Amino acid sequence: MKKHFAFAIAAAGLAACLSAVAQEPTVDDIVARTNTASYYQGKDGRAGVTMTITDAQGRERKRELTILRRDSGEDGGKQRFYVYFHEPADVRDTAFLVWKHLGQDDDRWLYLPALDVTKRIAAADERTSFVGSHYFYEDVSGRGIDEDDHELVETTDTYYVLKNTPKNKDAVEFDSFTMWLHKGTYLPVKVEFEKGGEVYRTNEILAVDTIQGYPTVTKSKMTDKRIGGFTVNEYHDIKYDLDMPEDIFTERYLRRAPREYLR
Amino acid sequence: MQEEHEARGPVRFAIDHPWGVIGLSVGTALLLVALVVLPLVAPTAVPFLSPVQVDTDPENMLDAHEPVRVFHNERKETLSLYDMIVVGVVNETHPQGVFNVETLGQVYELTEFAKTLHGEAIGLDDPDAGVVEIDLIAPSTVDNIAPGGPGVVQFEWLMAKPPQTDAEALAIRDKALRMPFLDGTLISEDGKAVAIYVPITDKHLSYRIANKLQEKIDSFPEGADFHITGLPVAEDTFGVEMFIQMAISAPAAMLVVFLLMLYFFRRLALVLSPLIVALLSVIITMGALVVTGNTIHIMSSMIPIFIMPISVLDSVHILSEYFEEYGRRRDRRAAIERVMTHLFTPMLYTSLTTFAGFISLALTPIPPVQVFGVFIAFGVMVAWFLTITFVPAFIMLLPARTFENFGAAHADEHAAGLLPRMLAGAARFTNRRARLVLLGTIALAALAVAGIFQININDNPIRWFHASHPIRVADRVLNEHFGGTYMAYLNFDGNAEPQPLDVFLPGFEQRYQTLAEEEALPEDVRAAFRGLMDDAKSNAANHEQFLDALAESSGAARDDAPDATYDAWNVVARFVTDEQSRRQVFKQPEALEYMAKIQAHLQENPVVGKSNSLADLVRTVHRELFEGAPEAYRIPESNRAVAQCIITYESSHRPHDLWHFVTPDFRQSSVWIQLRSGDNQDMAAVAKDVEQFVAQNPPPMAMKLEWFGLTYINVVWQEKMVSGMLMSFLGSFLVVFAMMVVLFRSALWALVSMIPLTITIGLIYGVIGFAGRDYDMPIAVLSSLTLGLAVDFAIHFLARARDLYETERDWPATNLRLFGEPARAIFRNVIVIAVGFLPLLLAPLVPYQTVGLFMAAILFTSGAATLIIVPALIRVLQPLLFPERVPVARACRFGSLGMLGAAIYGALWVNVQPFLHNPHAEWLIGFAIFLPLWLAVSFVLSRRGACRVYTTAETTAAPANGAREK
Repeated sequence: MKKHFAFAIAAAGLAACLSAVAQEPTVDDIVARTNTASYYQGKDGRAGVTMTITDAQGRERKRELTILRRDSGEDGGKQRFYVYFHEPADVRDTAFLVWKHLGQDDDRWLYLPALDVTKRIAAADERTSFVGSHYFYEDVSGRGIDEDDHELVETTDTYYVLKNTPKNKDAVEFDSFTMWLHKGTYLPVKVEFEKGGEVYRTNEILAVDTIQGYPTVTKSKMTDKRIGGFTVNEYHDIKYDLDMPEDIFTERYLRRAPREYLR
Repeated sequence: MQEEHEARGPVRFAIDHPWGVIGLSVGTALLLVALVVLPLVAPTAVPFLSPVQVDTDPENMLDAHEPVRVFHNERKETLSLYDMIVVGVVNETHPQGVFNVETLGQVYELTEFAKTLHGEAIGLDDPDAGVVEIDLIAPSTVDNIAPGGPGVVQFEWLMAKPPQTDAEALAIRDKALRMPFLDGTLISEDGKAVAIYVPITDKHLSYRIANKLQEKIDSFPEGADFHITGLPVAEDTFGVEMFIQMAISAPAAMLVVFLLMLYFFRRLALVLSPLIVALLSVIITMGALVVTGNTIHIMSSMIPIFIMPISVLDSVHILSEYFEEYGRRRDRRAAIERVMTHLFTPMLYTSLTTFAGFISLALTPIPPVQVFGVFIAFGVMVAWFLTITFVPAFIMLLPARTFENFGAAHADEHAAGLLPRMLAGAARFTNRRARLVLLGTIALAALAVAGIFQININDNPIRWFHASHPIRVADRVLNEHFGGTYMAYLNFDGNAEPQPLDVFLPGFEQRYQTLAEEEALPEDVRAAFRGLMDDAKSNAANHEQFLDALAESSGAARDDAPDATYDAWNVVARFVTDEQSRRQVFKQPEALEYMAKIQAHLQENPVVGKSNSLADLVRTVHRELFEGAPEAYRIPESNRAVAQCIITYESSHRPHDLWHFVTPDFRQSSVWIQLRSGDNQDMAAVAKDVEQFVAQNPPPMAMKLEWFGLTYINVVWQEKMVSGMLMSFLGSFLVVFAMMVVLFRSALWALVSMIPLTITIGLIYGVIGFAGRDYDMPIAVLSSLTLGLAVDFAIHFLARARDLYETERDWPATNLRLFGEPARAIFRNVIVIAVGFLPLLLAPLVPYQTVGLFMAAILFTSGAATLIIVPALIRVLQPLLFPERVPVARACRFGSLGMLGAAIYGALWVNVQPFLHNPHAEWLIGFAIFLPLWLAVSFVLSRRGACRVYTTAETTAAPANGAREK
């Protein structure tokens, strides 16, 4: 479960949501539904992202990218992501490939066209910056729901408030994070990361739209007090269930961007 | 001219109303104390009063609006640079240096602790004030980028957790040594030491943060040595020690002065009065300083030490004379009136010359030095006024028994009679061997000039601490191990004005044509692109607008293109964006190559230990992308390749580090240079080195190189100090000379009076030159003190000489009498001040030691110069100085008038020019016009009938009035 990044894509469908309202779900249900709502909507999906990074001094940098996602089957199962850069112009055609596994480190590849290199990236952890933004890799691909202990700390009229404490404290920089999950959509409207009782990092969903029946985040914002500034992601041209072939999500396609899904 | 028997107004008032004067003086001091204390007790009670502010920031040696400071602060802000506390960890005993389980564990623990030092943890309300966690540089907070096997690049924390085995510890060392960014910065080149850089939001927090760190360090078991240093710590520590200094060293000096006076004058009650005068002068001056909202700076903290000797000097003259006079008359009132009448003019002039010496500092372009000069000048006049009022009033109030057996003996007169015999010997010697003395003087002067040419102008705020101070030790140890702890930054500014279209387009067209041919672009794409170019041209005022419009339209054309022409459009669109990104200067390989070239050149300079830049960052990432091959440590060929290295780096744990080196528009970039020495002359030499290199190797595109950083700022104020001090000294020298012409009514006498002071200054600075002692800020300001003090003895001596000659009419006889009481008074002054300030030598802060040593040197040298050179000079110049006939005096008067005018013009020139900023040539032309006119006026004036009545006796009468010391 967890962070809702950009192309958070609708999953299980409205029916499941509605039935959930009728009787209080268990913590495990909530965690699973949130994970699905954030990362597993449809069997695949595509979104254009306009990323605006604003630093502590108010200076803006923009990036334009497309994210493709393909699930292996089950919601909450393995996934593959393809991230393609349109802008800035000097990194155009740069691409990332992520194979998300469960219970083990993800595989990540990076293709740099001007240097003509494809590299597998072996990061000791997934809490490195996503291309200089305030988001981490983990925010993009989703944090494994088994990595944390979950506790429902409050239920309001609108939200489930879920506190998540990492099982392995050494692997992350936070002590815990708390999610405000919308009861209707299970989208995490707000997520706060805390260290030593101090909230230093906050993600907020600023806009949600229903696309092809899936409640979908169309604008979100990550603020990091330590670094200063924030990153806003706006999602456009969102599409689910494109039936993208699996071989697009292989190293070979890094050098040969699947143009038909990116334009 | 003053009536001989009549005391001046203030003196007379003091004698008549002693309680009133004492009440007023003490009352004024108390009032100022109250005004200083009030804002501390009740901050809002009086709105215009502000509490005492301490300022230990060497940056404030320059005005806040000084361009180099404005630039420094602007760069610091845009590049998010903070002042740093540096903790160096060295382990000399463990074979693996600090890279062992225990020490790295401590380093880790200290780093985690440092992260918490902000807000409440250091007693501050603002939660963000204190350590900037995100920019902390320590083994556990930096990334290691390394190849992780074929086709794999690895990003990881260098030391995610403390190592469990010594082998793991060594692995951390080896990784760090591979990283150009870390080697010599985080880890010593010998692999024995690590450094933690603790950025802080405000350098004024450094002392308390450093103390917290020290507490933590003290809790570790014995093992590694932890050294805390960094310029902010030095400055803040200095501020604390400065107060200790003011509270201990200055009073200690006062105590010794007091004991010496007690020894000479043997009357506690009497000796108390100069002490009180000194104390009141200091309180009033410092009170005025604080109440007027000035800060206590390294300079202004020394004001008390300067005012005390100056105020004591005059009192010693009064006491000496009063001793004699009372012994003769046995009438307190008559004695004090007579003493004050005699001493009034010499004391006024000695105070005025000191005043002139210090007020001239107001002309230096360094604000703290201006404040220092102005308030000492103020204090000197306060001390003078108190001396002529408080001391007589105090004497009037002493009970009669105080004066029993008074005036019988001085300690120094009868104790074996050594001093009188010595002085008599000196009298004979200077009389008989006058020419030899003068020859010796000339030889000494020549030697002094040679020494002055040896003077090494240099300063280094770290050296304000004694060599054994922990900060100096840390400084030394860390600069041995690392690339240097002194930071300077070289900023590359690639901002350029957009080009007019007609300048830009021909080249652009040509490059496009080449591309179109090479890529064999289809005709329809070419035609369509032509159309887009025409559209872009029609709306653009300059090349940037043109390229922006064209990038957008050609990008859209590519995105909409059918598959058949997509690749062609892609080529075209990329061509345009490449052209567009040329304004991102520091993504261009040539710009980074140039930066790397300058760094390579800097590295040859022994002062430079290390430099870090965007070029290093790009080269490192490039190397790791190519399996860590050493030959891949280079700037890639295209701006796109550079950009892709950078975006790779941005995927690390610390992407924000990038923006310490370059602005997000990539038009400004700074190289971070670590110097092994914080000496201003070393920094200046590095700056000059770069300037010459750039002149010989011009940059590949328009860019401006400019320095910033605290180490560089110090250089700028030093340059200003040296030239400013020279002008201020020259200015006050001319002013003092003009005063002497007025006082003695003779240019020749004035010249003689300037000799001891000139020799003193020459010798002291000559010795500094030969001794290899750096000419730094404290030494520079001491030239003013020299000027003020060294002329005093000559004034007293010459005034007495004229006075005595009037009755003796014979030089050898006059000379012998001069070496009686007048010489003894000078001798006593020398001893009291010189010895009295020797306790300053025990101070742990070097500027205070310097002042103590200087004080002694000035007094000894100018005392000796006055007693040996002046009599010899008078002996030789006797016919001119004591003319027998009137016409000679008249001619002399003409010359004196002429020189007075020239001196005043010169003083105006030196003192006013810095404010008008007009060229010196104008002043020179002015002088050429002024001098003949003035000489003509002088000639006419000297021919007036009134002039004729002067005789030799009358000529000497005026100063003699007040100058008699007996």
